[in-house]
Amino acid sequence: MIASVDDLHVTLRGNPVLRGVSLSVRPGEILGLVGESGSGKSMLALSLLGLLPPDAHPQVTGTVEVAGVDMVHGSAAAHRAVRRRELGVIFQDPMTSLNPTMRIGRQITEVTRDRAQAVQLLEHVGVADAALRLRVYPHELSGGLRQRVMTAIAVAGRPSLIIADEPTTALDVTVQAQVLKLLRDLRDEYGCSVLFITHDLAVAAQITDRIGVMYAGRLAELGPTRDLLTAPAHPYTAGLLRSRLSLSTPRDRDLPTLQAEAGSRGSGCAYHPRCPLAVDRCAEEQPPLTGSDHQKSCWRDISDMPAGNSAPDPGGHGAAAEGEPVVKLRDIRCDFKVRNGWRRAGTLKALDGVDLDVAPGEAVSIVGESGSGKSTLLRVIAGLIKPTAGTREVTGGTQMVFQDAGSSLTPWLTIGELLRERVLKLGRAEQDDRIEKALTAIGLPITVATARPRQLSGGQRQRVALARATIVPPAVLLCDEPTSALDASLAASVLNLIRKLRGDLGMAVVFVTHDLAVARLMGDRIVVMTGGRVVETGAADDLVSRPQAEYTRTLLAAVPEITS
Amino acid sequence: MIGFLTRRTGAAIIVLLVLTGAVFVLQQYSPGDPVKAYLGANASPAAVAAERVSLHLDDPLLSRYWHYLTQAIRGDLGISFRTHRPVVTDLGAFLPATVELVVVAFLFALLLGALFATIRTLAGTLVRGILLVGATAPPFLLALGGIILFYAHLGWLPATGRGGDGFLLAHSLVTGDWAVFGAGLQHVVLPAFVLAVAPAVSIGRILRASLQQTLGADHVRTARAKGLTEAAVFGRHVLRNSIGPGLSMAGLQLGFMFAGVVVVEQIFSWPGIGNYLAESIPAADYPAIAGVTVVLGAVYIVTNTVVDMIQALADPRIAL
Repeated sequence: MIASVDDLHVTLRGNPVLRGVSLSVRPGEILGLVGESGSGKSMLALSLLGLLPPDAHPQVTGTVEVAGVDMVHGSAAAHRAVRRRELGVIFQDPMTSLNPTMRIGRQITEVTRDRAQAVQLLEHVGVADAALRLRVYPHELSGGLRQRVMTAIAVAGRPSLIIADEPTTALDVTVQAQVLKLLRDLRDEYGCSVLFITHDLAVAAQITDRIGVMYAGRLAELGPTRDLLTAPAHPYTAGLLRSRLSLSTPRDRDLPTLQAEAGSRGSGCAYHPRCPLAVDRCAEEQPPLTGSDHQKSCWRDISDMPAGNSAPDPGGHGAAAEGEPVVKLRDIRCDFKVRNGWRRAGTLKALDGVDLDVAPGEAVSIVGESGSGKSTLLRVIAGLIKPTAGTREVTGGTQMVFQDAGSSLTPWLTIGELLRERVLKLGRAEQDDRIEKALTAIGLPITVATARPRQLSGGQRQRVALARATIVPPAVLLCDEPTSALDASLAASVLNLIRKLRGDLGMAVVFVTHDLAVARLMGDRIVVMTGGRVVETGAADDLVSRPQAEYTRTLLAAVPEITS
Repeated sequence: MIGFLTRRTGAAIIVLLVLTGAVFVLQQYSPGDPVKAYLGANASPAAVAAERVSLHLDDPLLSRYWHYLTQAIRGDLGISFRTHRPVVTDLGAFLPATVELVVVAFLFALLLGALFATIRTLAGTLVRGILLVGATAPPFLLALGGIILFYAHLGWLPATGRGGDGFLLAHSLVTGDWAVFGAGLQHVVLPAFVLAVAPAVSIGRILRASLQQTLGADHVRTARAKGLTEAAVFGRHVLRNSIGPGLSMAGLQLGFMFAGVVVVEQIFSWPGIGNYLAESIPAADYPAIAGVTVVLGAVYIVTNTVVDMIQALADPRIAL
């Protein structure tokens, strides 16, 4: 075994984050660790590294062994030696995970200071002009190149185990495919093992040999990738697979969701309050991880699992009314002045001649990678950015919902105050009435009105952002990646809510996303953008099944899918 | 880089114009007749009137200001009404003392600030506490306390003067005249410390906060994951990324210190421009006041420019 943990419990600031995990990484395998935020997967990685945050006063019981060294008790020097010789790490965000003030060549071979080796490693991870690139700083590279540099750092010490913590989450989907391939190639070449942590089962499906599914600090299920994806043994895994949004999810039904998290977990299985199979025993007794090759931690038999329960979508799909467009953009251009290092200022064409019409009540998805201009376009529609050239006609009001609901809600105002701001012209009684209606419409109890944003979960905050946007129904609701910061099970319910609100209020929706599957589900029509231009527009299903533009095809090919 | 220096020089000219302009407007509207000070209290009204004409004091404000500026470009800041010497000569006599005092005080401030930011032991908490108390006390109180303790009671340090003139410390250091250097140091310690305490706390607090922030940064986690020792992590990955806010604060404080010398120089009878300014103000000696103002403004601009350049060197993401 390269690395193993046995009955590992970790408590940070008094909160249990790992509650009895046993797991071994076999030589040469890629082991996926899949779970939603807070499931403990990153803490498991930090435990293996011996880098649990000391300010959180970690309390650890159980064992963690890497290359035969005890990573819980041994000396700090011994831990450092293991990290230097046996482990390589790739973290999620390559921008913040690289030292911004050190040249990348120095960062790659910081331990050996061997320039030739740095060049060789950079070439190895697919960076062209490696010798020249040694002297650049991280901010001078693109996201994909930065993650390649991070990978070069990880393999520099010829590790026996690479720990990759969400290595592709911050990357565009086409770049993600390249980095996944790189990781697989490096494993083959160096013969090392990889612990691959992700929240996305489909990404794990692309690269892993085995997958461990984590829930609330424990392994729910552990098995060979193909087995686990085709015949999940734990209701949580089955639910995750079912609620995953893919290019073949039915468009005319409500999106399948997992039951929302509710209530206390008590002493039994942590999943039981959300589990469709839960019986009394589940609430009282923690099921152990059993089985030989394909293990699960559940008292019940998965074959009792009820079939999918998604109702037909009651929303007004395809209800786009005829009539004058509510949004009419003609030849919109948007230039930004950029200064790049010591060089002269240049011009970035964020939008380069975009035309767009949105009919009343129509839903349009705009899809593109980072830097495609999709968010800029949305801001132009909202009137937040004045275009450099072109005409913009928007009839009726617009409202916007942003990606990070946490930072788009004023932290010191209560939810009630945030909503009231939008209806100040009305009488007090009517204000209260509208707030209550708005909260009911988004499925939150009226008591939320007295809460402040930080007391709510991410999904609840995004719901509040939606309530704020729709308390006075706008003609057009503008959504900027509203679910990309949410876990899969929450994302689906927020998307359902947007669809429902659209039907109820008869508003048009412009939905910006990087995810083609989501774009297809949220739009009657999809607009594909790259480099500030529209490359293709089409009805949602047509565009996905019969893409015309080369770029759309590339994008489609890079979408990770689970094939059974 | 050249563009940056050009922009800064332009800004400097504007700042100096505004500063000297303000001094001229103040002069127009403030009481006190500089000519009486110039000629002495017993001068006859006729002599005063004649002198007003010869000093161009009856000319319109704008024309006097223009005259001042054209002279200033030639390096002539006028004649002091009080000392009857060219202001440039006076500044040449008093500025070295202030420069040496402020430089020593600034080194103290950096050293104490660094200690404030980095020491994590019980001793560090003690040092922080003492500095904080010192920084909250008004400088004159601190100065008087220091004189009573180190001069009157212990007799370790002199209370006034600086033990020589000109660039005393720099000169004796270069020529290796250790006796003079030691005496100069003895004189400068107390005033420099009084001047340094408050800036040290400002620098230390900012530096401490940014160090703590950097220690929690993702790239520091990467550095630890490489298996580097804590010393290497700190030296190579934390320090350079934390220094920026501390540097900005140090630059600001250096400017404040030049302004703060007025009180400290008075108490310690330090023959610098602070003392010179303190004597010029009651005498309505506007040429001298304007001269000191120009010097302080220039020091401010130059230090902040240098700080910005050092920051750009430390952080490749900053483009000047």
